[in-house]
Amino acid sequence: MMRFKRYLWTLASVAALLAMGGGATASAASAPAPKFITIGTLYAGSGNYATSSLPELAGLKFWISQVNAKGGVYVKAYHKKIKIRLVDYNDQSDPNTATTQYAQLITQDKVNILVSDFGSVLTAAAVTVAKEHKMVLFDPTGTGSSFFTPPSPYIVLTSLPTSAVWPDSFAKYLIALGKKRVAIVYATNDFDGAQDATLVAALKAHHITPVYNNGVDTATSNYTVIIHNMAQTHPDAAVEFGYPNNDITFFQNLSASGVHFPFLFTIFPGQQLALLTQNVGAKALSDTFTYPTPPLLAYNKGITYGLSLNAFAKAIKPQIKSAPNFLDIAGYQAGLVIQKTLETSKSLSQLDLRAAAGRIRFFTLDGQYKLAKSGAQLGELLPVAQLQPTKSGGVAPVIVYPQSVATGKAVATH
Amino acid sequence: MRRGVWRDGAILLAVAVVLLLLPKAYSNQMLLFQLMVYLALSQGVNILYGFTGYLPFGYVGFFGIGAYGASLAMLDLHFAPLLGILAGAVVALLLGLLLSPLLRLSGAYFAIASLAASQAVYLVIANPSLQNITYGPYGIQLPNQFNPIASYYTMVVVLLLAVGVVLYIRRSRFGMALQAMRDDPVSAAMSGVPVVRERIAAWLISAALAGVVGGVFAWQTSVFYPDAVFTLSISIFAIVFALFGGVGTLLGPMFGTVVLFGMYNMIGISDPQYFQLIYGLLIVALVIFLPDGVASLLRKKGIHVL
Repeated sequence: MMRFKRYLWTLASVAALLAMGGGATASAASAPAPKFITIGTLYAGSGNYATSSLPELAGLKFWISQVNAKGGVYVKAYHKKIKIRLVDYNDQSDPNTATTQYAQLITQDKVNILVSDFGSVLTAAAVTVAKEHKMVLFDPTGTGSSFFTPPSPYIVLTSLPTSAVWPDSFAKYLIALGKKRVAIVYATNDFDGAQDATLVAALKAHHITPVYNNGVDTATSNYTVIIHNMAQTHPDAAVEFGYPNNDITFFQNLSASGVHFPFLFTIFPGQQLALLTQNVGAKALSDTFTYPTPPLLAYNKGITYGLSLNAFAKAIKPQIKSAPNFLDIAGYQAGLVIQKTLETSKSLSQLDLRAAAGRIRFFTLDGQYKLAKSGAQLGELLPVAQLQPTKSGGVAPVIVYPQSVATGKAVATH
Repeated sequence: MRRGVWRDGAILLAVAVVLLLLPKAYSNQMLLFQLMVYLALSQGVNILYGFTGYLPFGYVGFFGIGAYGASLAMLDLHFAPLLGILAGAVVALLLGLLLSPLLRLSGAYFAIASLAASQAVYLVIANPSLQNITYGPYGIQLPNQFNPIASYYTMVVVLLLAVGVVLYIRRSRFGMALQAMRDDPVSAAMSGVPVVRERIAAWLISAALAGVVGGVFAWQTSVFYPDAVFTLSISIFAIVFALFGGVGTLLGPMFGTVVLFGMYNMIGISDPQYFQLIYGLLIVALVIFLPDGVASLLRKKGIHVL
């Protein structure tokens, strides 16, 4: 009898708990929609990453202005449009400051959506904080492979593939050209180191050992000795992997040194051509090979979501007072991914947002978006382009590899 | 003496209670954690500069090597986090021992030499050729050890340890010997104080403390690159916080850290450019008008600062 009573009590308790749970679910569903969807992000207003971080923020702000002008973003969880509000802090390119500020965005500003700052160094700080608070991190350009080691349920790389994948086409191109003496200098950070490792592995698989392969500190301000050391190995191809500041310094020192490499590849002319041209001149960039990213890689047709490249360039110009670069597009692309996520997520819970971001399949001005389970980006490809001189005295990209997307042929370097 | 011990115990208890209750009142635990990191590091600077007169601009070297020592012990030797942190402290201690000849220098020469040493350690750690040992420039990941709550409470214990050590030094013969050496090393030596031994002991205590703090920081952060734990701003913050409050005291560096780090997070998060201006002006004013920190102001008014 006693046992039966206890059984009844247990049943009653379970029923009561279920009723309370059901009530809670019902009340969540009928909870009033928030006045704003708050997005929190950081930007580097000064320091090493400012030149890249500021355009990325400008792209995100542009997306917000576009969405808010139309009455907000459609949020499926509430079946209505809600305006976006942005909370942004300046981390000054300092990862320790960024750590505190990411936590501030989550714990004090109670943001609904967290977006990381530019690049792997400033994104690394966000990865830990997002994981601690079980918050999805929309990551526009932090491509460090280590962030996407499973299990990684709280990260969404919105724009580029992980850095280790970047040189795939480039390595094949070097091999196809029959280059045997490759000299590589890379900045010792996750982004550039991963690319060096991939390139060297691909070359070695074809029995090509680089004649020069050395790392330099990312803060290096003089490549002169390195350039001469590379030249002494008589390379038929020279590769410099770095951040924009490294590329600028490398080109400036190369021009001053009088050294000429028969084939030269660097990363950032393909992303920030205006910045590089402004700092080193079009002549120094002429014939250089690079990864072309939008806007150099122009996607105007087949766009299934957001603005085409031409429309974007026209619309953003009044805000940024110049032609957009890749990082403006990366910021805008992060906004598009957030928009589509909110449009399709059944609730604003972080795991539902992450699941919705994983289901997205669209083609934007940034190319194909497709997310791996690890949160890494799979859709976009990075072909190889050459910056060829134009009649107006500038340079323009010609995609030379792979053949399926090529827009022209490489010309011999002068 | 007994009254002093009770007072020390009360201070430790008060610090512990405040730090354990703070997360209930303020939910940005990362900020509180960083506050504790700087509270402990400023006490480390205090032990060295306040009691021996050696200003360690390269103090971050011990912090960084502690972070790496702990992380590598956890990753490669599969140590439990607490044991890993202890390993980080031992590595920092060994580095301190290796660099102890720097104590032959003094003043600005020592400050610059310690800075150069910390940069040398950073460049060795971040060297891509040592990737198999240190993971080079590609940073550390401790996803399996990640435990923000346990690392927070461990940091509370480490901070209490740092406060306890300073309290002990202030009261002990060892601390008095250090202060005598700081004021006049020749007279201290002639009075029978083993100058070199005591100075090295203070240097090693300070190094080990930074190593422990670095280890707990690595555990809490769990994903970091070498520049995050070897950035010079860590040294500068710890030194400025200690100097602002007043070195040679317990409460001075704590006051300096709470005020300046608090200010940094009140103004610095939203408007860092204003913060930098205010910070710069404050440091200039400090050097000109209060070279011995806020504590000296109170001392002039006859108030004893612990």
